[in-house]
Amino acid sequence: MGLLEVKDLKKSFLSPAGKMEMILHVPKFSLEGRAQVALEGASGSGKTTFLTFLAGVLPADSGKITMDGHSLHLLREAARDQLRAQEIGYVFQSFNLLSGFSCLENLTLSMNLAGQSDLEHAHALLHAVGLQDRRNHRPHQLSIGQQQRVAIARALVNKPKLVLADEPTGNLDPANTDRSLSLLRSLCEEWESSLILVSHDARVIRQFEQNIRWEELNQIKRDEEFSQIQEDLA
Amino acid sequence: MMGLGVSLKLAWRAIRQNLLTSWITVFTVALAGGLFLGAWKTNQSVRLAFAQSACGFDAVLGARGSQLQLVLNALFHLENSPGNLDWSHYEMIRDHPVVSEAYPFALGDNYLGYRLVGTMPEMFIEHQWKEGENYQVLPPGRIFSENAKEALVGARVAERLGLKLGDRFHPYHGLEYSPDRKHEDIYLVVGILQATGTPSDQVIWIPLMGVQRMEGHDPEEANSISGVLLNLKGSSGLALDVKYNKQGDQATLAWPVPAILSSFFNRFSWLERSVAALALLMALVGGLIILASLRSTMHERRREFAVLRCMGASQSVVTGSILWQSIILSLFGALGSLVFYLLLSLTVSSIIHLQIGVGMDLPLFDLAALYTFLGILLLGLLSAWLPTRQLYKTSLQETLQPSG
Repeated sequence: MGLLEVKDLKKSFLSPAGKMEMILHVPKFSLEGRAQVALEGASGSGKTTFLTFLAGVLPADSGKITMDGHSLHLLREAARDQLRAQEIGYVFQSFNLLSGFSCLENLTLSMNLAGQSDLEHAHALLHAVGLQDRRNHRPHQLSIGQQQRVAIARALVNKPKLVLADEPTGNLDPANTDRSLSLLRSLCEEWESSLILVSHDARVIRQFEQNIRWEELNQIKRDEEFSQIQEDLA
Repeated sequence: MMGLGVSLKLAWRAIRQNLLTSWITVFTVALAGGLFLGAWKTNQSVRLAFAQSACGFDAVLGARGSQLQLVLNALFHLENSPGNLDWSHYEMIRDHPVVSEAYPFALGDNYLGYRLVGTMPEMFIEHQWKEGENYQVLPPGRIFSENAKEALVGARVAERLGLKLGDRFHPYHGLEYSPDRKHEDIYLVVGILQATGTPSDQVIWIPLMGVQRMEGHDPEEANSISGVLLNLKGSSGLALDVKYNKQGDQATLAWPVPAILSSFFNRFSWLERSVAALALLMALVGGLIILASLRSTMHERRREFAVLRCMGASQSVVTGSILWQSIILSLFGALGSLVFYLLLSLTVSSIIHLQIGVGMDLPLFDLAALYTFLGILLLGLLSAWLPTRQLYKTSLQETLQPSG
């Protein structure tokens, strides 16, 4: 059995017309430990929603998700939170660093949520992403590229088994894209974390040996109404 | 335990990030709580202070007129005297079987606006102005002699006018100071009274005959007095009440003093009710201020909470941080309200002490303060609850918008 197994995952939302519309149906998906997969698809097609299910943030309507032997779909919310804190790292397109906290504090806070406290490890990780000298800087005092590097360090600080990266290079220029991507992949490799990276950028997708087209994974075809539902959710 | 620490850390950081809003919230809550407590307690304290400042007298006998005027004039040295009594009234009541103490007093002069009160030296020896407390003269001073032009100065007057032993002064005619009404008599300061926190501190005591026979006073009034300060045996004033107030028509007995003072304050009960309503309104405003402040910062923190949830923060960590934020703001607000109340009380008490000589005891840490303190914390918690629930339901949807 792989690190992650998804079976017959379904999700519907109430459309503006008042009907329940299924927006996501993933019959099968699996991921091996230490694997790095790119998930390619157009904007607004449900990839982010899929990631939130994998992370256990939002529950699906039906289906099974097994993560490292834990049946996410059977776990209570508190247990999902705990699992997410300890075994899943999340990288956002807009970085989402906590603005009131320094770079170092962003990392230590993430550790605290997982019930850990290892200041030395946090320093080492900041050093690894080249920001040791900026450890006490607040996010607004960093460049875009630096912010994303902190976000990557934060996602990896608990040595997660799975890293979910949602358009992590979407706001970066090509140079920073390459640097961040390289950093993310090498750190995942170093910490033996699996990686699912969502992107619509072909340049990014090409760098992965293993990539999957979202349209092939999700059985629901994207149309105008679906996009509208997604926008309404936003 | 770690979750609790994270919640607290998040709350404290949110307060620091919104420092100005936080300060305004704390200040407003402190103001509201302080005024609430002030309105609640000051009124009680003023009543109590007046009741305790009757200098240990049960009743006052004076000229026919208002009982309240008599009490205010004789014991608090306010208002004008309703008139004079003949000396025989003093002798009659002094010998009445229910009277345990009787001291005649006479008014009519001042020194630089502070009243001169003529009385008998025995009052400073025998009378207890408070249970177990006799008047004390600061050494090496002494009490004035009955037949001499000597003065015993109240502590507050001595402090304000800088009077000291051996000083001499000319009294001025009337209860209000007027430079052109100076008497020829010269009085020698022979003693300074130890402070009592009562209106006794606000006057200059001289022999009764001093006022009666002051140069320029009507010789026909030489045997008259302004009234008699009385202590009764037990609570046996009914007979005197009937004799003077119901059957007599020459004098008025103001008895019992606490009831008269109470009726005085009852006249202002409409004001007390208004202040109480205002205080409740202020408490409500305090709660709404916390709610508004939390909702305002909540709006800014929605994204932060959604990110935290993705990082594995549990619902208890997220809600805990909001509750902590509210508790911290409320706590500072509650502490501030005690400080504000203390300042308010000190201001009110110093004004009253300065003007009337009535000392107020304002215990800061009494039940009222505790209830207000806990009430503010409770209001803070209640104010936090609504935003907490709302935020938890909406934050993820708002932030984790599908981008792909």
